[in-house]
Amino acid sequence: MNELLKFFVKYSSWFLFMIYVAAGCALLFSSNPFQHHVYLTSANVVSSEVYRGANSITSYFSLRDINEDLQRRNSDLELEIYRLKEQLRTADQKLYADTMTVDSALSRYHFIIADVINNSINHTHNYITIEKGRLDGIEPEMGVMDQNGIVGIVNVVGDHTARLISVLNPYLRLSCKVKGAAQVGSLVWDGKDPGEAILEELPKHARFVKGDTVVTSGYSTVFPEGVPIGTILSGQRDREDNFYTLRVKLFTDFSTLSTVRVIRDNMKQELQTVEKELQIKDEF
Amino acid sequence: MSKTTLQFILLSLVLVLAQVLVFNHICLFNLAVPMVFIYVIVRLPITLNTNRVLTVGFFLGLVVDIFSDTLGMNALACTILAMVRRPVIRLYVPREEDLTRPEPSLQSLGTPVYLKYLLTMSLIYCSLIFLIESFTFFHPLQLALRIVSSTILSMLLMLGIDSLMTPRSEKRL
Repeated sequence: MNELLKFFVKYSSWFLFMIYVAAGCALLFSSNPFQHHVYLTSANVVSSEVYRGANSITSYFSLRDINEDLQRRNSDLELEIYRLKEQLRTADQKLYADTMTVDSALSRYHFIIADVINNSINHTHNYITIEKGRLDGIEPEMGVMDQNGIVGIVNVVGDHTARLISVLNPYLRLSCKVKGAAQVGSLVWDGKDPGEAILEELPKHARFVKGDTVVTSGYSTVFPEGVPIGTILSGQRDREDNFYTLRVKLFTDFSTLSTVRVIRDNMKQELQTVEKELQIKDEF
Repeated sequence: MSKTTLQFILLSLVLVLAQVLVFNHICLFNLAVPMVFIYVIVRLPITLNTNRVLTVGFFLGLVVDIFSDTLGMNALACTILAMVRRPVIRLYVPREEDLTRPEPSLQSLGTPVYLKYLLTMSLIYCSLIFLIESFTFFHPLQLALRIVSSTILSMLLMLGIDSLMTPRSEKRL
């Protein structure tokens, strides 16, 4: 017994080393981001407070870029408004009796505005932390966009903070399509450039040219249809495969992310209930 | 608690904050990411029990992991770094009794030995981190470039921290 104790004491550093390595490996390889506990992510109380403090200073730095983006987006929207007003006027004249204004509370989607307090672009799996949480109505698997395009999907939610899986993370696959076409592919990041992603599995009969816009498909409750993602840089046919693989230049500048919109789908529950009912019917 | 222990706790706090708030967001030429918080492990006294060095390393890595959402990566790499620290020092300093002070520094090791020690430690750490990270994507050339550039950047920054840490009176010597 004495000898055994001596043995353990003599090699204690090796045992401790092995324990720590095992703990590290367990954390590393069990880390499916959907199972992370909130205390072990950047959405926990301490780190979110630290990031919030730092963000209150650094958020001023990129204001110029963000302002430019907003101006551009604003002018786009103004043009859109003029176009729609024009259409509305013609429609009004045609269908005078049927016109009725729709209250915004009845619309399907609702935006929650949140500040980004932590963000990375140089890892292989990037995550974003925002300063709105469960108490502000945020739930896992909500889509997130900013003034330019998509940003990611909510993953872990704390009371006042939430962590998103960034588009720059291979765990995220988004259903999307080339604007104006019906064929759907999936967008995934390849870990090379934070400004570019890959659009995979686009059927070979899809028609597109370089510079076309890629938007979300709307085939889930996460993103509405038509949220801008990026433009096509180049495309090639997979060898012995019936699919195209396209390189997409992302609209969203992940290095200057500051204010984002979390998309709340008011029909999510209804859709899920209907889908579940269908599944149950299929089983019988 | 002695003065040195307090100094090390303060140093760890400052470096971890600097790492997660500033250096994690630096990505020079889309390649080099500086890893400065390992300076704590570099500077721990040589006389310190290996068990304690391992514990400090693991928890230091874990805190950085939690902040940067890289669960387990830095913790694993820091533990390994803490384990190879003594062999690395032995490599350059055959007789530890020759040292004037227990902490490895420019003064106690001498400039050439200290530079070699710092370079080896940064190289080991950056290799570990980027190898663990590349389990998902494997681009050999990019990996090598990232390791080399990050090592150089980390080392330069740690030398900068060194000159900040050294009191003025010692510098004149």
